[in-house]
Formats: sequence, C-alpha cells, structure tokens
Amino acid sequence: MEFAGLSKLYGPATVLEDVTLRLQPGRVHALMGENGAGKSTFIKLLAGVVPADAMTVRKNGSEVTLRSAADATAAGFRFIHQELNIIPQLSVAENILLGQDMPVRARLLVNWTELARRAKQALAALGVEHINVRRHAGALGTGDRMLIKIASALVSHDGEAPPCLYVFDEPTAALNEAESEKLFAVIARLKEQGAAILYVSHRMEEVMRVCDDVTVLRNGRHVTSVQLAETSREAIILAMTGRDIANGFPARTAHPGTDIVCEMRDVSSATLSKLNFTLARGEIVGIAGLTGSGQTELLRLFLGLEKQTGGTARFEDVDLPSSPSEAWSRGVAYVPQERRSEGLMMHMNVRLNTLLPHYTGWRARRARENIRTVELSKRVHLKAEGPEQSVWQLSGGNQQKVVFARALGSIPRLLLLDEPTRGVDIGAKFEIYKLVRELSEQGSGIIMSSTDLPELLGMCDRILILSEGVQHAIVDPDGMASSDLLQMFYVADRMVTA
Amino acid sequence: MKIANFRQMGTLLGLLLIILFFTIQLPDTFLTARNLINVSQQISMLAVVAFAMTVVMVMGDFDLSVGSMASLAGIVAAVLFALGYPLWIGVAAALAVGMLGGLLNGFLVAVVGILPFVATLGTLTIFSGLAFFVSGGRTIFGRDIPASFSGFARSGIPLDSIGLAGLKLPFLSISALVVLAITWVLLEQTTYGRRLYAIGGNREAARLAGVQVTRLRSSAFVLTGIGAAAAGLMYASRVASANPTQGAGLMLDAIAAVFLGMTMGKEGEPRVLATLVGVLILGILDNGLTQMSVDSYVREMLIGAIVLVAVATSSFRRSH
Repeated sequence: MEFAGLSKLYGPATVLEDVTLRLQPGRVHALMGENGAGKSTFIKLLAGVVPADAMTVRKNGSEVTLRSAADATAAGFRFIHQELNIIPQLSVAENILLGQDMPVRARLLVNWTELARRAKQALAALGVEHINVRRHAGALGTGDRMLIKIASALVSHDGEAPPCLYVFDEPTAALNEAESEKLFAVIARLKEQGAAILYVSHRMEEVMRVCDDVTVLRNGRHVTSVQLAETSREAIILAMTGRDIANGFPARTAHPGTDIVCEMRDVSSATLSKLNFTLARGEIVGIAGLTGSGQTELLRLFLGLEKQTGGTARFEDVDLPSSPSEAWSRGVAYVPQERRSEGLMMHMNVRLNTLLPHYTGWRARRARENIRTVELSKRVHLKAEGPEQSVWQLSGGNQQKVVFARALGSIPRLLLLDEPTRGVDIGAKFEIYKLVRELSEQGSGIIMSSTDLPELLGMCDRILILSEGVQHAIVDPDGMASSDLLQMFYVADRMVTA
Repeated sequence: MKIANFRQMGTLLGLLLIILFFTIQLPDTFLTARNLINVSQQISMLAVVAFAMTVVMVMGDFDLSVGSMASLAGIVAAVLFALGYPLWIGVAAALAVGMLGGLLNGFLVAVVGILPFVATLGTLTIFSGLAFFVSGGRTIFGRDIPASFSGFARSGIPLDSIGLAGLKLPFLSISALVVLAITWVLLEQTTYGRRLYAIGGNREAARLAGVQVTRLRSSAFVLTGIGAAAAGLMYASRVASANPTQGAGLMLDAIAAVFLGMTMGKEGEPRVLATLVGVLILGILDNGLTQMSVDSYVREMLIGAIVLVAVATSSFRRSH
C-alpha cells in the first residue's frame, strides 16, 4: 500500500508537503513527529475527512480515490481514534455493530440473539472473551471501550473491502498499563491476520516495542522512514526535533531549601491513608504508582476537593485550603490531568485562560490583561497569535503551555502537577521540564504525579509510591531505572492487597 | 479572519437590511424620529429582560421564569399601591421579589444542582401561580395605580433643544439604556464578568482555577431576577395596570434576542451589545410589519423563521 505525494495547505500555511508513506501487510508502522508536524492532518487525509491538495493512493498497485469518509471505509481503511465515542446507553453488541443493518426477525423486530452472536464473533477475532456483549457499554472501562471500537472497526458491511489497514491514533493515551497490554495483544493478532497497521504515538517505549517500521514527520515534511531494528531511540528523537535532546532533563543547579512548605503526618481521606512526607521550598516530590492509586486525590487534598479525615496536614504552618479558590489565593497552583475537561475553557481566549485565577479587585482592564498575558506566554514559549486567540486553535503542547502560564501567574508557593506532559510532544516536554526546574529553583515546592517514569526519575528529588491510596515508600531516585520503580509498584501492590 | 468577521457581522447586516426594507416600504412613516422613538419605547421592556437574560446565558444557563417574574413584580407593586402604600415601597418590594425569586432560581440551579431548564420551568409556574394568588386573578388598574407611577412611562426628556419639537425621549427607553450600560460594564469591564464567561466556557475548569462557581452562579440568577422585576414594573407603568399574565410573552422573545446576538460572538458566546442587536431586529420587525398591516399571526411566524435562519446560517458557517 502506498500513499504518495500527500500535500495539504490551510490558507497560506503548508501543513503537509509531498509526504510519501509505504505500508506493508503484516507490519506495524509508526508515524511519529512533534505536535504540529502534520500527523493529524495526514490521518485526516487518509480518512477522507479533509480533501488533500495532492495525493495518490495505491493499494496492491491499483489507484484508490479518497474523497470522503465512505471512500476510505470502502477501501478497507479503519480508524481508531483516541477519543472513544461509544454510546454508553446501548449494549456492547449494539455499539460494535453500530452503522450496520441490524439483524431482524419478522422484518421488524431486532434479532438480539443474532446481534449478540455477530458481536461475539467480532470480539473473538481479536482474542477477546471477557466482555459480555449484552452489558451496557457505559459500564465498561476505558480499555474495554477501546477493544469495542476495534471490534467495531473489524466488522465490514456487505460489499465493502475487508479491512486491510488499521490506523491507531494515540491509542494508549487513556489506557493504563494492563489495558495497554491487552491492546498490544490485539494489535499483534491483527498483524498476524495480515493487516497493515499505522500506529501514531508519542510514547517512545511503546513504539519501540510494538512497531516494525517508523516514519518521522517534521514541520509537514517527510524526514525518514526506517525499520526500527536499524535505528535507535536517540536517532528518532533527533529526527523528530531536529535537535539533540536525548538527555531530556535539565539538571538542578541549586539545592532545595530547608523551609518546609507542607508537612503531612498520618494524613488520610476517604481514598488515601498513611501519608507521611514533607515538602521543602524548591523541592520536587514525585507521586508514582499504578494508574488510579490515588495520585489525583493526593494532589486534590491541597485544593480542598479531597477532604482530609485524619492526621495532621500543614501548608505553610496552617491547615490545608478548603476550596480551590482559597488554594489559589494562598499560592497553590494546579495543573490538572485532563487538559480539555479540567484545565481549559477551550472556546475562550488565551487571555482569560491564563489570567483566570489571578483576577483581583473588580475592575478588569483589557489592555493591562493583554500585557500580562503576553508576558506569561513568553515565559512558557507559547506559540499563539496573541492573547485573543481561542485556545482550541492551539496544538496540544501549546494548550498545555497555557495551563502552565496560568500556574506561573504568581510564583506559586506550591505547584501541583498532574501528568504535566501527557499528550505533549518531545520538544514541548523539554520546555515544560525546564519551566518546572526554573520554578523549583525560584523556591516553589512542587508535587508532580506522573505515569511517565523516566520523567519522574529525571525531575524529582524524592518519589512517593502510592498503592491503592496508601503511601508505600518514599525513595531517592538517584541511580534508579524505570524498571526498578515499576518493580516497586508491583511489590507495593502485593503488600497492600495481601 | 475576514470570513470570521463576515460571519460575526452577518446579523448586523441583517438588521440594516430590515431597516432598509421598511424604509423603502414605508417611506413616510418608518424612518422618522417619532417612529424610532416609539420603537425604542416599545422594545424597552423586552430589552431589559434580554439584557438580564444575557447575564445567565453567559454562564451557559437559562432562566425561563423571567416572564412570570415580570408579571409577579408588577402585581406586587400594584397590590401595594392599592393598599395605599407609597410609590417607593411598591417599587422596592417588587424589586425585592425579583431578587428573592432570582435567589431561589440560583439556589436550585447552583446549590441543589437542578438543570436550569427544569428549575426555572418550575419557578415559572410558581411565580405565575403566586401572581394570580396575590391579585386574586384580577387586573389591577384605574385609581389603584398612582398617577406618579403610570406617569413615568408617559414622560421623558424633551428633545426640542436638538430640533425635534414636541418629541420626548421616553424614560422607559432611558431605563433600558441604563440597564444596558450597567450590564455592559458588569460583563465586559469587571472581573465578575470575566469569571461568568469562564464558567460558561468550562465550569469544572473554572472551579479548579479558583472560581467560586456556586456563589457566582447564584448571584447571576439574582441579577436576572432583579432585571425581570424591573421590566415588570416598566410594563405595569406603561399600561397603567397590572395583570398576572402580562409579562408572559417576554421570556421567549428575550431568549430569541440573546440567540440572535450569539450569532455575532467570536465563539458563539453571548455579548450584551449583540443582544441589543437581537432586540432591535425583533422590535423593528414587529413595528414595521404592524405598520404594513401584516396579520399578527403571520408576524409571529416570520419572526420565528428569521431567528431560525440567523442561528442556522451561523452554526452552518461555524461547522464548515
């Protein structure tokens, strides 16, 4: 399968220029690049959602036209996006066969037995047996929802070409480790069945593990296409960024102070217990653990959203804030995990999103606000047209920078970071690390929760390991590897459940 | 960028076209100072309700109870007048009722967490029932209404000095302008307004960024309630009477005006000056079509269709 000469211009901006990609059946091909490199546009062209300015698609030597989403489906292309648009009110089987003609009985009534049979068949083809197809889809976890979407992509209408290409767009963004494993097993299976797979992801470890080939885009241009066996992690990063940032963590130049910002003694809440740690000015404490071990809840203790039920907790020698508004006014800044739903007002401009927690008094002066916004935007190296631009128009990395610009609005005394670099490309990640380092050197105490283990190891002074809400240990990351840390999660998990 | 500007300006262009149309159709009567002043007075009540409605719609909320609140406020004032209380007590009591009604709406929506549609549909019925209960279902008019109260709507600032002999700028129109100015300052020039827009943008994100969502939402409903009560007083003054249903028509028109205005927002957000354009479109259509002796039912259909066309073209352009 070949996609040649793809070009796309949006107004005067060239988003893709003469990109060529060759995919082979039975191989997983990674598509990598920073945010704004043109990956999303590339996928939109393949899906027929956006018309290309130039594009030739050949399948087994014969040309295919892609003018609409229907063309792409008819050609056997299937797309699994990171947003899992399932219909929670319907059953799993209905979700899988959505868009198909329902099997009927007496020309009128839905044949539920047949529906369930077909759905089971689709899941079985993926090697998935554990999902009850008659359950409500809304009751399923994120990982199972992903499997449903894949099963649904697998089913083809009468008269359509059977699926020959699966495009996965950041499929593990919302999955935990175990769910990702299931997904990788399914991908391996699709591969065995002879499908070509295009795998778009930011996560280097995952790509190295799952994929056979890689194509790197940068600024809308094709940089390289190689077999992964013949390249290295460092070479791919270099190709993506055009600069060498393999050693991606800025070194600490000052030592954390001795003044204590917060102190936790046997603190507990509805979901947390036995929290015992102190955070000094300028110190970065990492929160680690398997997904859903209480990381977000721990951060939210400091916002008054998770109520303390026991122990002694002190923030700057007084009780913890009782509400987010009190928290911000006492110098707590929060970068939430979900940028779109918790972080930003997507349809509002950069100015409001940046300054919101920092409004004081009743008078709002636009000119002054603009100056302040530009100032903060500069500090986070935001690429935007200006304070008036709507946030949804920015790339993911730049959106995250807006959230950081907000946190910088006043030098925070306590900075709470929840997955600060999720869905952010490597270049922007590096800039965010630099910012975090800078803030710590200016004396902010920082608590950072992340599932990106190299990030925790590279940035933190100490790492607190949580397991099912219980503090298991605090470790010094010096000399540790990701695998050591991961090992500790599982040990902690066993100890808690035992 | 230019296309976006054109989309935003489409509704304003529509208003100009409507004015042009009536100017040609009604060459002698439409574009005269007398008629325009008349229009400004006709739309003043709707304008006040629509401006007040804009405040809650900025947060993505609704208030369906404004019409019955307007009726109730008029009734409360009139009943107190009938009992012999002085003017200021009647007016103050009516505004206080608006405030309390708004507080109830705010409590139900922001504290209890009922959808605004459902909560204010409930209070709509309550306020309406209360208006009937307090008035005994009668229209209060005639000698019960003090002349100083109904005189307000009939007087204005003489415009002889600017060459419009015999014409007055009605106090009702001035009241609407004052409410417009207050609302504009509140929404565009204060941190309060910024926070309301943030709540409309993403309530959860606003809360996590330290906005006191519950308190602000409640207070915005209070403002809307007071606005609705003020409009009710203006109405009662204009017709020199109060009956328990007279504000009923205001709610739908006010929402329509805000929606028309939202087609001019950069991201489809309500802006009070844009609401004014919406109010003008509805008011001028009504005035012009009445003068052209178009049947009132046909007028209703036309206005409904125009709102739909404006909003539809706006969302169509937005999604393409």
